[in-house]
Amino acid sequence: MSGAITCSAADLSALLGPNATAAANYICGQLGTVNNKFTDAAYAIDNTYLLFSAYLVFAMQLGFAMLCAGSVRAKNTMNIMLTNVLDAAAGGLFYYLFGYAFAFGESSDGFIGRHNFGLKNFPTLTSDYSFFLYQWAFAIAAAGITSGSIAERTKFVAYLIYSSFLTGFVYPVVSHWFWSPDGWASPFRSEDRLFGTGAIDFAGSGVVHMVGGIAGLWGALIEGPRIGRFPDGGHAIALRGHSASLVVLGTFLLWFGWYGFNPGSFTKILIPYNSGSNYGQWSGIGRTAVTTTLSGCTAALTTLFGKRLLSGHWNVTDVCNGLLGGFAAITAGCSVVDPWAAIVCGFVASLVLIGCNKLAELLKYDDPLEAAQLHGGCGAWGLIFVGLFAKEKYVNEVYGASPGRHYGLFMGGGGKLLGAQLVQIIVIVGWVSATMGTLFFMLKKLNLLRISNEDEMQGMDIARHGGFAYIYHDNDDESIRVSGSPIPRAPNPPAV
Amino acid sequence: MVTATTTCSAVDLAALLSSSSNSTSSLAAATFLCSQISNISNKLSDTTFAVDNTYLLFSAYLVFAMQLGFAMLCAGSVRAKNTMNIMLTNVLDAAAGAISYYLFGFAFAFGTPSNGFIGRHHSFFALSSYPERSGSDFSFFLYQWAFAIAAAGITSGSIAERTQFVAYLIYSTFLTGFVYPTVSHWFWSSDGWASASRSDNNLLFGSGAIDFAGSGVVHMVGGIAGLWGALVEGPRIGRFDRSGRSVALRGHSASLVVLGTFLLWFGWYGFNPGSFLTILKGYDKSRPYYGQWSAVGRTAVTTTLSGCTAALTTLFSKRLLAGHWNVIDVCNGLLGGFAAITSGCAVVEPWAAIVCGFVTSWVLIGFNLLAKKLKYDDPLEAAQLHGGCGAWGLIFTGLFASKQYVNEVYSGDRPYGLLMGGGGKLLAAQIVQIIVIVGWVTVTMGPLFYGLHKMNLLRISAEDEMAGMDMTRHGGFAYAYNDEDDVSTKPWGHMAGRVEPTSRSSTPTPTLTV
Repeated sequence: MSGAITCSAADLSALLGPNATAAANYICGQLGTVNNKFTDAAYAIDNTYLLFSAYLVFAMQLGFAMLCAGSVRAKNTMNIMLTNVLDAAAGGLFYYLFGYAFAFGESSDGFIGRHNFGLKNFPTLTSDYSFFLYQWAFAIAAAGITSGSIAERTKFVAYLIYSSFLTGFVYPVVSHWFWSPDGWASPFRSEDRLFGTGAIDFAGSGVVHMVGGIAGLWGALIEGPRIGRFPDGGHAIALRGHSASLVVLGTFLLWFGWYGFNPGSFTKILIPYNSGSNYGQWSGIGRTAVTTTLSGCTAALTTLFGKRLLSGHWNVTDVCNGLLGGFAAITAGCSVVDPWAAIVCGFVASLVLIGCNKLAELLKYDDPLEAAQLHGGCGAWGLIFVGLFAKEKYVNEVYGASPGRHYGLFMGGGGKLLGAQLVQIIVIVGWVSATMGTLFFMLKKLNLLRISNEDEMQGMDIARHGGFAYIYHDNDDESIRVSGSPIPRAPNPPAV
Repeated sequence: MVTATTTCSAVDLAALLSSSSNSTSSLAAATFLCSQISNISNKLSDTTFAVDNTYLLFSAYLVFAMQLGFAMLCAGSVRAKNTMNIMLTNVLDAAAGAISYYLFGFAFAFGTPSNGFIGRHHSFFALSSYPERSGSDFSFFLYQWAFAIAAAGITSGSIAERTQFVAYLIYSTFLTGFVYPTVSHWFWSSDGWASASRSDNNLLFGSGAIDFAGSGVVHMVGGIAGLWGALVEGPRIGRFDRSGRSVALRGHSASLVVLGTFLLWFGWYGFNPGSFLTILKGYDKSRPYYGQWSAVGRTAVTTTLSGCTAALTTLFSKRLLAGHWNVIDVCNGLLGGFAAITSGCAVVEPWAAIVCGFVTSWVLIGFNLLAKKLKYDDPLEAAQLHGGCGAWGLIFTGLFASKQYVNEVYSGDRPYGLLMGGGGKLLAAQIVQIIVIVGWVTVTMGPLFYGLHKMNLLRISAEDEMAGMDMTRHGGFAYAYNDEDDVSTKPWGHMAGRVEPTSRSSTPTPTLTV
């Protein structure tokens, strides 16, 4: 922190000599006013920064909706987009009612938060509404990820139930462990940190991406592959999405929003590291935007050439997935690594994704958005990456220099941080499996999870959502048909 | 950078205070007061950095959003069978551009100290010892990266629908990593020979060229590069039939075109106003409400007015020329208006921006007619729009730059717009910029495209062009609205044989009558 502006009228008066009390009071009053104005300015600037970052993270919801829409078959478009809208809407309500409290309620124990239900006693000294909105935007991102794994074959009521449970309870508890100053594994703890360091997951490779991905994994495992995906137990058939344009649109919007997701996780921009110099938290934020960019771009290029070798042609949808995997991986360490290290992160993330996809195919695991492989697999790699490449200088700047701040193994920082990262991976997999695995299993037992075969072949839009998503010719518009005439098959539109 | 520094000399202050008490305690009082003022100065400095970085970072994110806008514009403007190809080139422009600009492009552009031609300082390659040795921060790097990939994106529009993918990778890396950074060095670096912000008193014509956000540096560079690519590889099959008449090969989705145009418009609010780089700067002590923030806002206004005027002018002129209202043409006119005002957005009055947009519309229509005459085929009319309207934008600045604004944005007592009474020096510098950009891009990108052509790496085969690149090289058609359209279940031979899916679309399919 920069030098505080203080003033003691009594001391000043003594220094100014006799009859100087009024002068001293006056001067101290002015300095006090100056100090208040600076405090006001800092709050205004930090809230501006955090609010606009929150709006960017919210834009990722739009990006993911378009990515999902483009990746599924046209006959299921309305369904998947509705789940994305509802993730945001239901999430908004439940996160407000209790999700935020479980995550960040001050002060509480290491496992779960216990205050600020329904934003009671808000804002606090440390958190304002901008912080709540920012965290809400993160929470709905996690739920969105899961919807990708179970797309095209899940009952809508199952979506509502898992989404509320994930956003309102499962996710907030995990974010409490790693992001709250009270969390048992959080690096923000003032004392008793896990392995002396806490796990570093700056913007959520584990907290958001792994949680969403592992939840999706269980949903997809329990309900099984889509009809036609692995015919007769043979090799995989690609059930291609219906619009590459929507996939690219969605990917770019996610990229755009990631500039709120990663740099925004600093939550404050007006923190000098050496007051009066040009180096401060704003530099770290800019550097975080750069590492984010480099990781995604490297992953995209690696995927481009990797898939060209493996499949013989250029594939824009694979490149988009590789790009997103690069972002998911750098999310853990974006603020504590050098730009060159981000290039390494992206390169490996691409290989991890290709590997996880091959594994999925071998195990006959079907995930329409490859969400478990991307968010779960690349997210886990991202946590390991931090344990290897975190730089001492940046770790101390971001988390506060204190004796014994551990950093990356390859940077000479020993193995404690890596140990904490591995604990984070294990614990997230365990917690999400225990909670969401059980939930999906129960839904399946109650016959509330998967739709019928007939509905799946016909497409959920026609069966359950009032009709096909696209109507390119007047004859296709059912609303002007005479009732009793046959429902038309999906038409041949030429455009997106 | 704080304009008025708060300084305090304890000795001087103590002398003033000493009349009321002995000298030791007044020195102590003075020391105390001075240290508080020093704290205030530091806090102000910190606040300014936080504000300016917030401003520049969010502007950079907006400029990045233009990448998305251009991807959608491109997708909608080409035929459906080439959609995956063009979108992949847009994704790769950004991705490959990040690596090449990070490794050396940024150093060529802004490495300092250096000579007037190209940046050289080793500390900027791969951002080593950055930002310590510079006056800027990571936000500046990210902002400049977003600009660099915009230029490469423009070129991809001219050579769309008929270019081999490896050619895209090569030209894009070369353009973003070398050709473009050199140009930006000349006009935007404080060392650049033609830069209006040149630090030593060696301005070109005593003025330097004013290209505030890049009508020349970005739009002309991208457009002239595209011109050469399209010239060297020739028109698309079916574009000009045997009698020489032009056939419109219409894009497959007007919705994507409009979506892309609006996203570009949205991002332009980072492109133009963001080019101030900082916002917290007062201009006039007597008017504390007037500062760089006002100029930033005014720039957003001039940008808006130019685009809107160009759009309206295009709407009515095409109605006269073609007989109907055409949203695609209006979108292109709108973008031309933005490309033109980009040069002078910070230094002209709002009314002048309206003139800019009006003339732009005619410039674009004129260049399109010329292209038709010369049998030049550009699927996105990128050379006409970015090259032609960009050049007009540079001239416009030489005519209409206002004295007050030029001296606020670029310090000193400068030449300004000819029609505003500022003489001809600025206009001369602008014309030099046009000539030099055309020349440099021609001698770099021209031989590159020619070399690729000679090595048979540029244009795809006629069969691939008829089938569409998505089918032959990108794994399949971009759209699959019925399960039967999903060709992945069919053997490869069947896939290669399909030219287009059955559809009742009114998009004309190119015929093989050439």
